[in-house]
Amino acid sequence: MKNMVTEKHGETKDVEVDYARLRIPFGPVHPALKEPVSLRVTVRKEEIVDVDIVLGHVHRGIEGLAENRNLVQTLYLVERVCGICSHSHTTCYVQALEEIGEIKPPERALYLRTLIFELERIHSHLFLLGVLAYEIGFDTLFMFTWHVRESILDLFEKITGNRVHHSMNTLGGVRWDVDQSMVEEIMSTMKNLHKYVQQIHDSFQDKSVEKRLCDVGFLAKDEAIRLCVVGPTARGSGVDMDVRRDHPYAAYNDLREDFSVVVKEKGDVYARTEVRILELFESINIIQKILAKLPGGNIRVEDNIIKLMRRIPQGEAISLVEAPRGELLYFVKTNVKGGLSRLKIRTPTIPNVLGLKPMLVGCEIADIPVIIASVDPCMACANRITVVDAVTGEEETMDTSVLRRKR
Amino acid sequence: MGIVARSRVKSPWIFHLNTGSCAGCDIEIVAALTPRYDAERLGCVLVGSPRHADVLLVTGPVTRQMLPRFIRVYEQVPEPKVVVAVGTCASSGSPFLGGQMVEGPVDKIVPVDVYVVGCPPRPEAIVKGIVTAVKKRFG
Amino acid sequence: MFCGVKGETMDVITAFLLTFPIVFVISLLFDGIDRKIHARMQRRVGPPIIQPFYDFIKLLNKERIVPAMASSQIFTVLPTLAAASSILSSAILFTSVMSGTSFGGDLVVVFYLLAMSSVLVTIGGSSSGNPYGAIGFSRKMTMLIAYEVPLLLSFLSVFLKINSTSYYNAILTQVKVGSMLALAFPSMAVSAVAFLLCIPAAADAVPFDVSEAKTEIIYGPLVEYSGPYLALFKLAKASSNLSLTFLACTLFFYLPALFGDGDSLWLGAFIVCLLLALILWFLTITVPRTVFARMKVGQAFKFYWIVALPLSVIAVVLSALGL
Repeated sequence: MKNMVTEKHGETKDVEVDYARLRIPFGPVHPALKEPVSLRVTVRKEEIVDVDIVLGHVHRGIEGLAENRNLVQTLYLVERVCGICSHSHTTCYVQALEEIGEIKPPERALYLRTLIFELERIHSHLFLLGVLAYEIGFDTLFMFTWHVRESILDLFEKITGNRVHHSMNTLGGVRWDVDQSMVEEIMSTMKNLHKYVQQIHDSFQDKSVEKRLCDVGFLAKDEAIRLCVVGPTARGSGVDMDVRRDHPYAAYNDLREDFSVVVKEKGDVYARTEVRILELFESINIIQKILAKLPGGNIRVEDNIIKLMRRIPQGEAISLVEAPRGELLYFVKTNVKGGLSRLKIRTPTIPNVLGLKPMLVGCEIADIPVIIASVDPCMACANRITVVDAVTGEEETMDTSVLRRKR
Repeated sequence: MGIVARSRVKSPWIFHLNTGSCAGCDIEIVAALTPRYDAERLGCVLVGSPRHADVLLVTGPVTRQMLPRFIRVYEQVPEPKVVVAVGTCASSGSPFLGGQMVEGPVDKIVPVDVYVVGCPPRPEAIVKGIVTAVKKRFG
Repeated sequence: MFCGVKGETMDVITAFLLTFPIVFVISLLFDGIDRKIHARMQRRVGPPIIQPFYDFIKLLNKERIVPAMASSQIFTVLPTLAAASSILSSAILFTSVMSGTSFGGDLVVVFYLLAMSSVLVTIGGSSSGNPYGAIGFSRKMTMLIAYEVPLLLSFLSVFLKINSTSYYNAILTQVKVGSMLALAFPSMAVSAVAFLLCIPAAADAVPFDVSEAKTEIIYGPLVEYSGPYLALFKLAKASSNLSLTFLACTLFFYLPALFGDGDSLWLGAFIVCLLLALILWFLTITVPRTVFARMKVGQAFKFYWIVALPLSVIAVVLSALGL
């Protein structure tokens, strides 16, 4: 039974009133989602039978914008691809430019980049754990996790002056240095953090939390490989991959001995959560090692960034980093005028979102928010495919009959 | 201040709408509810349905896909309502200005009561923005 | 019909009329205290205690929106009915304690009114035409089956114990025995536990708030309600919470019974019971919603049929045996 209901704005909306199947629109505006993504979920009673994922609500045309700006302006633009992993984006972009221009940043700069990188990973994982607690209605754990997260944001503010967009990277180095008192402060914060993360780990093993997270949202290993899932989502399904170890960048080559890659075999929501919690311990460890080994010297090769920008010739490069959500890839092609002729960003969320379908089918409605949160989707990252308007913009307003007539 | 006006100032229920922001402003809005900033002491509650809301917090430069949804959500909020544009993108569209897919800033589409600028603004600034908006409108 | 001996008819009617503003104020006040304590347990400052009053007045003065797809009569009438029935249930209880009067079968009426108010909320939500309202409706029905049966059996065991369906008789029994029901009889202790376990589900508090889960189905039935309708639903919920906790503390834990007969201190007894109700509110609603994560429908259902139902059956059997 299908009813076409006309709303007051003249829009029509089809409401399926089938007793067996109900189609619910999940998003783009939904309290469980901090960012818009649309899932059309078909359910039979509480069980999910089909999922359709629609992306593109946050498509701002960044890749197109980048082609009209110079290299330095683009540095600040790509930072705003995503507010949670902004440092990953700038690092990846700057690495590609440095490769094209054959600029070698000093050792200290690489270490500081890695420091911010790991702090960002801690902040991002704590953010996610809090959101996960919020999705299962455990407000107290959410409040606690975010309270712990504030101490990392304080460090960001003290080091770089910003809580969210750090603007730490510049061509050939970093913009801010840390002094001895700052090093001590980071050390003491890490010590406290270790204690708090242990408490969060214990809370996530609580019976009532476990009931919601265990045995839902399975993603088998071969399915994960087939869908090219990356980052903690892949590691939670037993795929052993980490750019930090496989293709070391920044200071990770020196730190190779100091961290291990956390892999869990089970592939459910809890496995992905646990991977993230254990990665927090690894990150704390890495930061302590960085601070112990921090080399001296300059933090950038050249203060005048415009001069440096002019030195970058025409060329192209690919750069990879391990963002908190997984492998992030930048393809950068520069032109002779100090601008970009092509920028391609492949963010970890694009493959990870595809993994949602096998995870969701067969679960209950109550599991949707938890499963979505468990892949940690960053919609701001995912929606930058430069397929201009025809597909993303018009798809919504035209139904098949209209398209057929056009053709 | 009459009792109704006082109640409106004291109980701004907020609905947060992301119209294509980078999630920076969104995490700061959520951070404003957490223990350090605790917007609930001023009566702010983050509600999930626009029908319950008094204050519409809009982040992001309004992408083309979100435009019809944004207008729809704005119309779903019952009167009297207040719109607060959070972040530079929502206030002026700054970094994304001139983009093909960007239809904003917010004040091109709906009337805005208070602009909270910053990229992203601090949680304190967001809370101040909400309180200023309700005071300006109802106080 | 009236089985109390103290009150004249006029007094009873005065007391009954007086209870309506009292229910209104107390239920919203307790709601505010609940929110404040919840916030303090999360290391937050929390809203002022009178915050629910601000919310209520603000919502009353907002625009009413009836969705185009809603069946508008049901949608608009039900909030008032829900609020009326839950306030009435509290009012009946308060009048009995204050005037020492009650009528036969009033516990059954209270039980009916409480179930009625939560059913009306969900019917109203499902009439909105929103799919989330429909899911909320089906979830609430499942939950009703889960917790109403143990709750009813728990009432039944009390009826068997006091040999009456009248509320004031339950209090009189406790005064006569000189002790609380839950302390005096093992059957009543078991019954009290079953009753208390049912309160969070009846109150839609967090571990069992599956029908109004915010992050899953956007408050379920309440998703399309705005302004005055929402205010009435909030009031209905607060006063049904109040009458549940007040009922629990007077049925099983009538503290004034320990201090001699109830004749001399009817107002004092009322205030003591209210304080006790606040404590029970804290223990059965605030604490669970702070320290637990939300359950799924199946898990909540299982909890009630595996834990609460056997307890209430045991209570009935024990009280039938005269323990």
